[in-house]
Amino acid sequence: MKRFNIVGTDVPRTDAEAKARGTAIYTDDMKLPGMLYGKILRSPLPHALIRNIDISRAASLPGVKCVITGEDTPKIKYGNWRLFPETQDEYPLAVEKVRFIGDEVAAVAAIDNDTAEEALELIKVEYEELPGVFDVDSSILPAAPVIHDYCPSNISVNRKIKYGDIEKGFAEADYVREDTFTMQSVSHAYLEPCSALAQVDLDGRITLWTSTQVPYIIQCLLASTLNMRENDIRVIKPFVGGGFGGKMELRAWEFCAAFIAKKTGRPVKFTLSREEEFLTGRRRHPMKIRSRVGFKKDGTLVAKDLRIQLDGGAYNAMGPTATFLCGNFGAMLYRYPNYRFHGEHIYTNKPPASAMRGFGAPQSLYATEIQMNLAAEELGIDPIDIRLKNAQVSGDKIPDVATISSCGFIESIKAVADMSGWKEKRKNLKPGQGIGIGCYSFISGGVFNWFNTQYPFSAAEVRAFSDGTVHLLTMASDIGQGSDTVLKQILAEELGLNMGDIRITSADTSMTPQADLGSWGSRVTLMAGNAVIDAAKKIKERLFGALSARFNLNVIHEIECKNGRVQAVTRPDYGLTFGEAVALVQKANRGEPLVARGSYTPRGKGLVTPAFGFGAQVAEVEVDRQTGLVEVKQMWTAHDCGTVINPRSVEGQLAGSIQMGLGYALSEQFVMDGGKTLNTSFVDYKMPTAADMPPSQVVHVDTYEPEGPMGAKEAGEGLASPTAPAISDAVYHATGYRCMDLPVTPEKILEGMKKD
Amino acid sequence: MRLPKFEYFEPKTLEAALNLLTQNGNNAHLLAGGTDVLVKMRNGRLKPEAVIGLQGIEDLNGIHFDSGKGLAIGATAKLAEVASNPDVLKHYPALAFAAGVMANVQVRNMGTIAGNLCNAAPSAENAPPLMAMGAEVALANLQGDRRIALHQFFRGPGLTAMEHGEIMTAILVPFPVPKSGASYKRVSARCGVDIAAVCVSAWVALDGEVCKDVRIVLGAVAPTPMRAVGAESFMREQTWTQELIETAAAQAVQESKPISDVRASADYRKKMVAVLTLRALEQAYERAIKN
Amino acid sequence: MKHHINFSVNGDDYSLAVDPWRTLNELLREDLNLTGTKLGCGTGDCGACTVMVDGRTVSSCLTLAVSVNGKSVTTVEGLAPSGEELHPIQESFIKTGAIQCGFCTAGMEMSALHLLNNNPEPTEKEIRAGLSGNLCRCTGYNQIVEAISVAAEQIRDSEHEKEER
Repeated sequence: MKRFNIVGTDVPRTDAEAKARGTAIYTDDMKLPGMLYGKILRSPLPHALIRNIDISRAASLPGVKCVITGEDTPKIKYGNWRLFPETQDEYPLAVEKVRFIGDEVAAVAAIDNDTAEEALELIKVEYEELPGVFDVDSSILPAAPVIHDYCPSNISVNRKIKYGDIEKGFAEADYVREDTFTMQSVSHAYLEPCSALAQVDLDGRITLWTSTQVPYIIQCLLASTLNMRENDIRVIKPFVGGGFGGKMELRAWEFCAAFIAKKTGRPVKFTLSREEEFLTGRRRHPMKIRSRVGFKKDGTLVAKDLRIQLDGGAYNAMGPTATFLCGNFGAMLYRYPNYRFHGEHIYTNKPPASAMRGFGAPQSLYATEIQMNLAAEELGIDPIDIRLKNAQVSGDKIPDVATISSCGFIESIKAVADMSGWKEKRKNLKPGQGIGIGCYSFISGGVFNWFNTQYPFSAAEVRAFSDGTVHLLTMASDIGQGSDTVLKQILAEELGLNMGDIRITSADTSMTPQADLGSWGSRVTLMAGNAVIDAAKKIKERLFGALSARFNLNVIHEIECKNGRVQAVTRPDYGLTFGEAVALVQKANRGEPLVARGSYTPRGKGLVTPAFGFGAQVAEVEVDRQTGLVEVKQMWTAHDCGTVINPRSVEGQLAGSIQMGLGYALSEQFVMDGGKTLNTSFVDYKMPTAADMPPSQVVHVDTYEPEGPMGAKEAGEGLASPTAPAISDAVYHATGYRCMDLPVTPEKILEGMKKD
Repeated sequence: MRLPKFEYFEPKTLEAALNLLTQNGNNAHLLAGGTDVLVKMRNGRLKPEAVIGLQGIEDLNGIHFDSGKGLAIGATAKLAEVASNPDVLKHYPALAFAAGVMANVQVRNMGTIAGNLCNAAPSAENAPPLMAMGAEVALANLQGDRRIALHQFFRGPGLTAMEHGEIMTAILVPFPVPKSGASYKRVSARCGVDIAAVCVSAWVALDGEVCKDVRIVLGAVAPTPMRAVGAESFMREQTWTQELIETAAAQAVQESKPISDVRASADYRKKMVAVLTLRALEQAYERAIKN
Repeated sequence: MKHHINFSVNGDDYSLAVDPWRTLNELLREDLNLTGTKLGCGTGDCGACTVMVDGRTVSSCLTLAVSVNGKSVTTVEGLAPSGEELHPIQESFIKTGAIQCGFCTAGMEMSALHLLNNNPEPTEKEIRAGLSGNLCRCTGYNQIVEAISVAAEQIRDSEHEKEER
């Protein structure tokens, strides 16, 4: 393993002290002079035409400063898939039609929250209710109500992948099985409800502070929906209380804050309630997965035919990406010589599903992993062995996707089997006790430029000063995952400085270099990290040149930045402090500051990702055979995230994904009645608490990713996938109940359990 | 949502509170800990014009125990105080447990048993152990006081036997007779911030191996917390056997009238009534023989 | 009708008039600009708004502002008054990686304080139970639990030191 000074150490988070003291400012903490408070009126119906909206009573309520409906807006549709404008299907405020309960219909801004809420009740909307569809099967029937006129089939995205010869593959198989899986919808349940604050300056330019993962995307889409120039919009991301994929699109309140600020000349803030978040918020896609796989007798995979229907809800949101990716995830992890995928993104009259930690992988890999175990059992092979036989390794090619570079998958499986005492426990546990496995592979950022950015995927600017400090500017967005810290660590390592020598400004679209696609798809460490290194290397070149001249070094000398100095490697006495070296460069350029820009855009890396993370997880459970309640006793994880840049952060990501995976496996689900979400509080949306978390042991498999900054790749998002199949498999081992439709509820266990 | 607008009163005496309540008629609502009332107001399910806070009334505070009269829990005593009170822990462990696992730490620091009962949710978690132990509630109005057995108190979801102008002042639990014991069992999907999908309390009094008396109370399986009276009468005066309690548990299932909702299906709830009744009876028995 | 209330927050006395329908959370965040206390759900389930009133943790979203009349409130800003040394709980939260997005942190720290005030030597199980009213979506709680047990030890150590002196 390569040795580093700062990378690989438990540097405390850059922002931890401010958060510990309560001084970190989140969007809703901000207040500006003259600020108005905004609220949104939402559709109570899942599918209806808007016949009339009467805002007169609301507008005349004392204290109300502005009421808008879709008719007041420029009526420009938006969506993240800019490369394919036909997929942009959403208006900031509904125009003529509402498509789900919660669809935004009107907005109010008033002098305080109480008045704004009161005004909402005074807006009268006449609807003509239309029949709705609430599941994929009814939605694709020929006679089904059409949700978007442009899309009479209700299938908004069709994605097909094919390689090898699927028929031949199945013909060669000794054993073929087909299974159907369904998955529920779950919530991101980030703790900070969405909030946005807009201010307009005297020139009509807008500044928007917003709780987002994607400031650059917000900037662009806000500009287009307002009919303004991109650079007349400045988006600033303050501290963000978590996202997990749920804050990666332009949303109605962001538009409304900006639009009303422009109209009234006053700052406007919108903050959602938790009830709004649960009732109408984005969520993970429910899916229906049909998977047919063929094996040789010895357990070798020969073919897979995968068909996935995504219940997208009323708008595309990030559904197209999820549709693409779950096809790719279906072909990852194991070697499939012959593969076919057909994915359909289907509209229903429910709150839109979108990106959520794993982006299609938790669903797709649940099917993969459970099916692997079903096959292993029929073929009489241990689940560990069947995985080892088919595991992807470095150098494997996924057609049209990528060649796998670093890969610690086999090591992960072996490590986790070893740690958990798999062989012994899988044979010998008592009834009610069980052990199960789940594995994952995940992307380190996406390559496919669906947003059609005209800039590099990630960028960084480094400004070096003669006092020995540097200033790092990047649009990369820390939403709590710790990217500010990680990027500082990478820069400190590269320049031989301490964390305290670096100031960071991030995620401000007017101040940080263009551009960055945001925090999603586990892209930030690899892409923004590479951009930082690129900028740092340019700084170093300048410093090295100056040093070389200053000491008249032979051109063959290696020069390094180390321990706050710039020096010849073999003659450290030919060296200067970092600040002195910067001063030299600056003098040589007659005062011009030492600044460099770096960027990263994946090229020649296929269409999916520049690097893959891998891992395996084992869960041990105890099931109360009378109540069906599951207690997860222990989790073991071995994973390959390349170089670990901050071990505590990586372990925190792991524990966080176990929490989310545990909920996905056992207790979390949106309970729907048609288009209505019934559980809209944390009492009835059951995400695990501290007392529900199992003890956990982890091994980081030592690999080095050549494409990653200092060998690093994704950590923490891939881990959203293995927990549910591992727990589900353990429940099967404990009870004989095999769950094909998540979540694994006590009720289903009692129903499906083998009685003995 | 924000809270609706209302007038607030914080009387210092019970009499003042009763006067306020009577003067403000149906538009007044009492506030003890606020953990249910404020949530209902936020959801728009409750829009009182006057809110009468009871916290300033000293007489309503406190938990009093004596081995003759038993336990008296003041209307504003916090759940956390009940759960950690040494006398409650010693003599009424089922109640201490129920109060101590309800909701979460902060809610227990604010909420009260009286509030939990007056809210009259079918799942009111303190109701089953209190009913099982034969608790009464003390109600005051301007004309005087009255007491009513808790098992006659609940009338439907959100509905109680309280009349307008009445305030619950205390919950009274008799001192446990010798060789008696009570228990509380629940199932919920997770360990914190939760509400029981089903809960069952049992109380038994033994005479040797004979079940002299028994009360079985089911929560969250009917419009109100309910006694399984059929199962109880089946057990009375019978010798305690595994078969006896199994049959009683099956009888309790027959008596329960659960619905399906976001927390569980009716079918699962019925199954849990069987499991929890059995477990509750077993634990009550264990406690009774040691008492 | 507004009510006049007197109370203290983090040792500072306040005397002001509030509408009865305003919550303690609104009072702290909107009127006193003490925004360290968050609002995560408004129904007392997530714990992000946890503060201490007279030494007990409460959900500030379910506490009427009028009801703190005569009482003493402690918020996250009162754990370590700005510029001064961190409270051992804050220090251990920073060190152990217990803070990711930070939105639950203030509430977690207040619950930790309440727990350690009542139980200076909690077991892991007791710590987890003490956090039953504080949800977190980032950390999986493990590093928070570790932080609290590290803080407990540190508080005990420094109290021993005081006694020895």
